[in-house]
Amino acid sequence: MSEPILIAQELHKSYGDNHAVDGVSLQVARGEVFGLLGPNGAGKTTTISMLTGLFPPDSGSITVDGLDLAKQTTAAKAKMGLVPQDLALYPTLSARQNLTFWGRIYGLKGKQLSSRVGEVLKMVELTDKADKKIDTYSGGMKRRINIGAGLLHRPDVLFLDEPTVGVDPQSRNAIFDYVEELNRAGMTVIYTTHYMEEAERLCHRVAIVDLGKVIALDTPTALIRSLGGGILLVGLGEGQAEGVAQAVAQLPAVKAATPTDGQLKVEAHRVQEALMGVLDATNRLDARVTSLEILEPNLESVFLHLTGKKLRQ
Amino acid sequence: MSILTITWKDLVLFVKDRGRLFMAFLLPLVFILAFGYAYSNFATSNARVVGLPVVNLDTGGAMSQELLDRLNPEHGVEVKLYEQAKAHELLEKGDLKLLLTIPAGFTQAVDAGQPVVLTLVRRADAPESDLVALSTVIDGVAKDLSLQNQLIAAFRQMGQMMSGGPGGGEVFAADAAIEQAKSQFQRAKTAPLVNVEQQVPAEILRQRAEAPNAMEIAVPGIAVLFLFLSAGTTALAIYSEKKLGTFRRLLSAPLLKAELLPGKMLPNLIVVLLQAVVIFAVGAWVMPLLGMDKMSPGNLPALAAVSLLVALCSTSLGVLLAALCRTEGQISGLASVVLWVAGAVAGAFVPQFLLGDFLSTIGKITPHYWAISAYSDIIVRGQDLAGVTTQLGVLALFTVAFFAIGVWRFRFDA
Repeated sequence: MSEPILIAQELHKSYGDNHAVDGVSLQVARGEVFGLLGPNGAGKTTTISMLTGLFPPDSGSITVDGLDLAKQTTAAKAKMGLVPQDLALYPTLSARQNLTFWGRIYGLKGKQLSSRVGEVLKMVELTDKADKKIDTYSGGMKRRINIGAGLLHRPDVLFLDEPTVGVDPQSRNAIFDYVEELNRAGMTVIYTTHYMEEAERLCHRVAIVDLGKVIALDTPTALIRSLGGGILLVGLGEGQAEGVAQAVAQLPAVKAATPTDGQLKVEAHRVQEALMGVLDATNRLDARVTSLEILEPNLESVFLHLTGKKLRQ
Repeated sequence: MSILTITWKDLVLFVKDRGRLFMAFLLPLVFILAFGYAYSNFATSNARVVGLPVVNLDTGGAMSQELLDRLNPEHGVEVKLYEQAKAHELLEKGDLKLLLTIPAGFTQAVDAGQPVVLTLVRRADAPESDLVALSTVIDGVAKDLSLQNQLIAAFRQMGQMMSGGPGGGEVFAADAAIEQAKSQFQRAKTAPLVNVEQQVPAEILRQRAEAPNAMEIAVPGIAVLFLFLSAGTTALAIYSEKKLGTFRRLLSAPLLKAELLPGKMLPNLIVVLLQAVVIFAVGAWVMPLLGMDKMSPGNLPALAAVSLLVALCSTSLGVLLAALCRTEGQISGLASVVLWVAGAVAGAFVPQFLLGDFLSTIGKITPHYWAISAYSDIIVRGQDLAGVTTQLGVLALFTVAFFAIGVWRFRFDA
């Protein structure tokens, strides 16, 4: 990994008894698109909030381009841009007025400000609607302006927190294009999502987060490869999962077989061969198959493998 | 710089919001117009009977007795007689707040047609309600007594002239009698025999002579009511920023937290000050064009100082409401109940001197009471900055308390 632009060490944040973030450590390389993947409530937004200085961690440290966020807060924040999950815009102001306001907040002024607002409007393809009020925009257009507002000051690190929630396919593709374009221009992007296909398409590395912890961190390819050929989820009659698990665990095509709650999870090196072996074992043991699901190797199945639950549960 | 950027943005949002514009500027004027008309029919009589401590040094005098007889519960006054020494002792201790003294030789002087002065001593902490009611009644009774005695003296003089020589009957012609009566009536108004002199502490010596008109009664209360209702607007502006998610974005920007709250407060401070300017300007210069009384704005530096402190207090109260409430409904509900009720008990809808002791006491726990009292002292009683220092001090304490608790309880990460 090249020189890290963002380093987070042992971040903790609790609300009462709820440990929203429980010892998260990350290093993000300059120019990287880094994904934080996890279900709703996993602690992604709390982690992003601490990384962008919205509130301090209960413990732990954050460094942005060599600046300690706790001590050199203003300078560190100036290097970052946040595109929050909510549409953080003023609906009764026009797109141009919104962008001008956020540009001023980040210290732009005069010709530099108006020229940068024009550039961003062009990038998000809303120049012709720039003077219309935000509340007359479609959801996708609002999302695009929301992203634009985070780009005005050309941040070194851009945080995109679930930027495609509630967006139509066309706007979603446009957002992917912006992210790729910005990254090609050298911007580091930290992208949170619970859509695995977004993480697979955009991110160089992905941290999978669950219950406030990073449970895996690698490139999407490496994470998927760790899963082998795929996963079989076999629903079985009561008390039969243990026996079938023992029977199939020794098969050469099977990496591991784990019984859980009347279900057998089989991690396979070769999924077709493993499936034949499972069906053979259920016949031999006279076990009743109630359901069968084959999960292709992808980040969704990686998450399932790691946590025993689906990303969008 | 960021404070000004946030302020400018909030002012633009404010101007685009017709509902808030109506609430801030038009509604107070509607209230002033309505209450101004109501107060223009306002009679000084009211059912409350006020106790009046009196020292009568004209012992056995017929005129002093007549004066005391006229100061009766029908006029809203109940006289309580005191020995002079005892009365002054009680006054000094604060057990008496007001004291009317009828001088020795009162009857003799009135009979002789010589001017005589009744002294009404007022402590600084005398209830404004009692003072206004008693001053009005004593002044009226004194003028009646003056007129009566001046007319009697005139007719007595004419009777003497008629019986004193030839042609006297012509002197006592009807026309001459009417002219004499008119002259005495005029004298009783401009140079009454019986005068009331108020002895007051130095800080309120500059009281102006005229009674307040309808606008001067209506404007301070309505102004304070609406200036403090803006606290709800401040709270909603902060809540709205959080609800929109823009507060999170502002927190992630290279700003200090210390810039954020002032940035949200300053636009509302400006709006409240503009409200004050509009409300008082309308009371002073626009309402007379609509046939209403003209409000005298009084000492302008004092009016400006009170308005600035009221604006600060209202804005700080807005921060407190934003800190304590979790939902828009809570803000609207709490602001409506607290601010309207506080206005009502503080005398926003009826003059403070009509509130009675109970409501006056309760009203004092609201900043509204002190703001109305300060404005009334400036507008009605002609006080300057020095004359409203107590109210300014209390308002400053409310402001500091609201702001301190508001910042303490404010959830930046919510």
